Amino acid sequence: MYIIKKNDILNLAKELAKDHTMYGPVVEDSTGQAFFDRVDNIDDIDMAAPIPTLPPKHVLFPHMETIMQYRYDADQKKAEITGVFDESRKALFGLRPCDLEGILCMDRFFLGQEFVDDWYREHRSRMFIVTNTCIAPFKQCFCVCTDSGPDAKEGYDINLTDIGQYYLVETGSKKGEDLAKAMNLDKAAEEHSREKTVRVEKSITLFEDIAVENKAWISRVMNRVTTGFIDEAVWEFIGDQCFECGACTYVCPSCTCFNVVDINRKDGESLRLRTWDSCSYEGYSRMAGGHNPRKPVEDRRNKRFFCKLSYSQSKKYLRPGCVGCGRCAWVCPGDIGLPNVVTYIRREISK
Amino acid sequence: MDYKPGICTFCGTGCGHFLKVSQSGVDGVFPSRNHPVSRGRLCVRGWNIHELLSTTDRNTTPMVKKSGTFQPVTYEEAITEAVNSLKKFLPGETAFLASPRSSNEENYLFMKMARSVFGTNNISTDTESGHRNSLDVLNEGTGFPGMTGSIGDIQKSEVLLVAGMDITRQNPIIGSELHMASMNGATLVTLDSRTTQIARLSDTFYRINPGSMKVLFNALASAMVANNLYDKSFVEKNTENYNEFIESIQAVDIESGAKKSGLTVEELTRLAELLTKSKSAMSFFTSGISGLDRDTIGSIYNVFLLAGKIGKEGCGVNPIAGINNLQGSFDTGCAPDLLTGFQSLADQKVRTKFESAWQQALPADGGFDFDTMMKNGSVKALVVTDHDDGIIKYRDSLDSVEYIVYIGAFRNDFQDYAHVVLPITSYIETDGTYTNTERRVQLSSKKMDGDANVMPGWKLLQTIANKAGANWNYTSPSDVMNEISQLTPTYSGITYDRLSTSFGLQWPCNTSKPDGTIRYSLESAPRKPLFVKISMDTDIPSVTDKFPYLLMMGKAQHYWHQNNLMHKTHIPLREYNATLLLYPDGYVEIHPDDAKKLGVRDRWSVRVVSAGGDMEIMAKVSDEVAPGRAYIPYFIRDMITAFLSKHIDAVEKGEDATIPVRIEKV
Repeated sequence: MYIIKKNDILNLAKELAKDHTMYGPVVEDSTGQAFFDRVDNIDDIDMAAPIPTLPPKHVLFPHMETIMQYRYDADQKKAEITGVFDESRKALFGLRPCDLEGILCMDRFFLGQEFVDDWYREHRSRMFIVTNTCIAPFKQCFCVCTDSGPDAKEGYDINLTDIGQYYLVETGSKKGEDLAKAMNLDKAAEEHSREKTVRVEKSITLFEDIAVENKAWISRVMNRVTTGFIDEAVWEFIGDQCFECGACTYVCPSCTCFNVVDINRKDGESLRLRTWDSCSYEGYSRMAGGHNPRKPVEDRRNKRFFCKLSYSQSKKYLRPGCVGCGRCAWVCPGDIGLPNVVTYIRREISK
Repeated sequence: MDYKPGICTFCGTGCGHFLKVSQSGVDGVFPSRNHPVSRGRLCVRGWNIHELLSTTDRNTTPMVKKSGTFQPVTYEEAITEAVNSLKKFLPGETAFLASPRSSNEENYLFMKMARSVFGTNNISTDTESGHRNSLDVLNEGTGFPGMTGSIGDIQKSEVLLVAGMDITRQNPIIGSELHMASMNGATLVTLDSRTTQIARLSDTFYRINPGSMKVLFNALASAMVANNLYDKSFVEKNTENYNEFIESIQAVDIESGAKKSGLTVEELTRLAELLTKSKSAMSFFTSGISGLDRDTIGSIYNVFLLAGKIGKEGCGVNPIAGINNLQGSFDTGCAPDLLTGFQSLADQKVRTKFESAWQQALPADGGFDFDTMMKNGSVKALVVTDHDDGIIKYRDSLDSVEYIVYIGAFRNDFQDYAHVVLPITSYIETDGTYTNTERRVQLSSKKMDGDANVMPGWKLLQTIANKAGANWNYTSPSDVMNEISQLTPTYSGITYDRLSTSFGLQWPCNTSKPDGTIRYSLESAPRKPLFVKISMDTDIPSVTDKFPYLLMMGKAQHYWHQNNLMHKTHIPLREYNATLLLYPDGYVEIHPDDAKKLGVRDRWSVRVVSAGGDMEIMAKVSDEVAPGRAYIPYFIRDMITAFLSKHIDAVEKGEDATIPVRIEKV
């Protein structure tokens, strides 16, 4: 464990920037909105920025990405196919713990199962991750209820915690350790790591005011969702409020569904694209031949919350699918962000 | 940062978004959390707009048709050819069809070109019958030709009334605002012939008889007067001609009106009470291609004036524009009888102002809109800008049109009928402003360079005008906006500088309202509002033994307006195909009881027969329609040309359009 003076924190980012494309929390000037995005100038990184509206998912799993290019030569009767990979080295600096958990979920989906996704792997394998402990939760947060914060437990190269004058620097990998050493960081004393514990404990107590009835019921609701004892009328009530926009999926740090399309460009080149997809869309679950096992919108919503809040799904991710960031509640045109769904199900349980 | 702030240009809501712009183009989108309209939300179209913006199905080179096929040529050659050909036609034979998708600057220059360069007032969008009716009614009533409330006021309103609009599909984020307000305690009431999503989300839903909207509102007004359930002191203090209106409305029979519309007299009275006794109330109806007719809009407006729910916070009569710059296309004078900001062409003072600014005499004879001209076959030459596929409906009557110039960024099937095609850049490759349904003028800044060989619209229009003898010297879209503000009292405080540091300004924006105008208000209005004169006839379409079903029409979310743009996306296209692959030739929705009676099941073919014609189409069995009713989403292109074209009069009633039909098993 090391410490670094608070004012020097971006030196760490500058060191990483020497051989990484840098991503971090930045606040867009004209609108005041926080993003987790590529930074041109390291000084733009704002470690105190509120939780970014855009999670880092897009860095590893872009909204739309060309994964393959092909061209058919009619004269030679030959097709030339090239995989398109992004092999750049990327560093995610100042990631919030919930977003790291989102990446770990994606890892288990794209890398940890029967198939390994080469495109994801290329984005991921050279990645350097620096997390930032949330010493105070933001208004919509409930990571304490989903076991994904307020401090990161695993999966980072370096974990930072604001302990007043300093950041406590914990290393979680050899890469992280090497960087700390290369920068000649001072060793942390016991008081520093104690201060971290105090601050994390304090942060957890702050959730009591914001993570009230809805969020605190998550584990109970998971039980209910898993066993399938939820009244159909509750799903219909939720389904009626779904505008089928896909937003909840798109902002979710752990949602991995995608669509693949081939584009025949005018210049003769064909592209294979991968784009984000969402279980809220009717076409998502429609099969060849027209049958749709999840045609009614409430069945599609039911699917989403099964994915986020069931034990069977948790077995795949080795954690709940929901990481407690609260973004789905921001973007939902209905009123069915995950915390509200918990409330609706809770009302039924309490009846 | 790769995410650049901008505005979504699909529908008239005008949501804020960020586009992810990289070297490869636009490959992502994200909602704007602090934007006052959308507050962090987007709909399925908005969430996938990058798919459209990265399409290669664009016009990239000027083309001239030579012996039946298009040949790529230079702009110089294409423009010379177009101008020389257009000059051969008389101004009266030439029509200019503007697009409700183009920016204010492009539409203004297009309008200026039609009038001052080619000497014709035949300038219009093809949405005359819809939004124009809304603007006319509001202008006659209040002198305020735009949405009298605003989207931000929805959360301040106690009662929200949706009149026959599938709002969560057409303008989803406004639908979302209504739902949020209802969850926070407002009373949401929907009147519709179908059980739409907003109907299911409403506190009260009245499934009314198709085509009875006007009859319902007139009976409602009559019930308000008869039961003294109107805001008498408001009406007497704030309105003119109320005696006359009250007298005329008393003649409307409440009981028969209620019966015809499918409500009980008690329900009508409850609605009257709700509207009048609440502190604030707003109404929402669709405006644009499927907009309501003038009388129906007038009847809604009159009820709200009678209830004292106009000109105050949380109040208003709100036509909801389907297309992004529909309001702006009227604001910039794309109508035969209007100059900018709803200034009348017939007004000599206004004409003089424009003539001296443009240093050109304006044509004196009034022009005609495109629809009217196509109907009477008087179009010989046509100039069209960036259009949705809906325009294809005219293809069968194009024989009389001798010359067509098409200007557009995206490929459109209609351009195959053109003689010259002139490409322009898309909206993210140049600056431009767009005016949303609540009169919010928003700047969309250039985010990336387009094809180096393609001109932005404003520049192309200037080049054409100058080739035709004008002397325009705009150096940027900002210059064009400066000219619009100088000539338009409602836009006089709007500049690019001010727009670039805000989320837009709602007109009127001028010296007395430098920060724009949230809503039409009684205090600052130059005159008192008037009740609008409408016909009180009580005819509604009815079934006969021969035609026992009432067929209704409406839009669908992913493919509204037979949208040319949606074809160029992947996810929204797939969502459309989710429907269209199941029902490849379109569908008619019928109630399960009727399906049983007819002996058909879902996806079986049926024949829909009307007095005007017939078509074979698949049945979609659904309880969203009542028994005895049938519904067709009118995005299905071939149906429009083949069947609905025989029912133009009914179709002009927009969302309230109803045709009596017979349905037969095939």
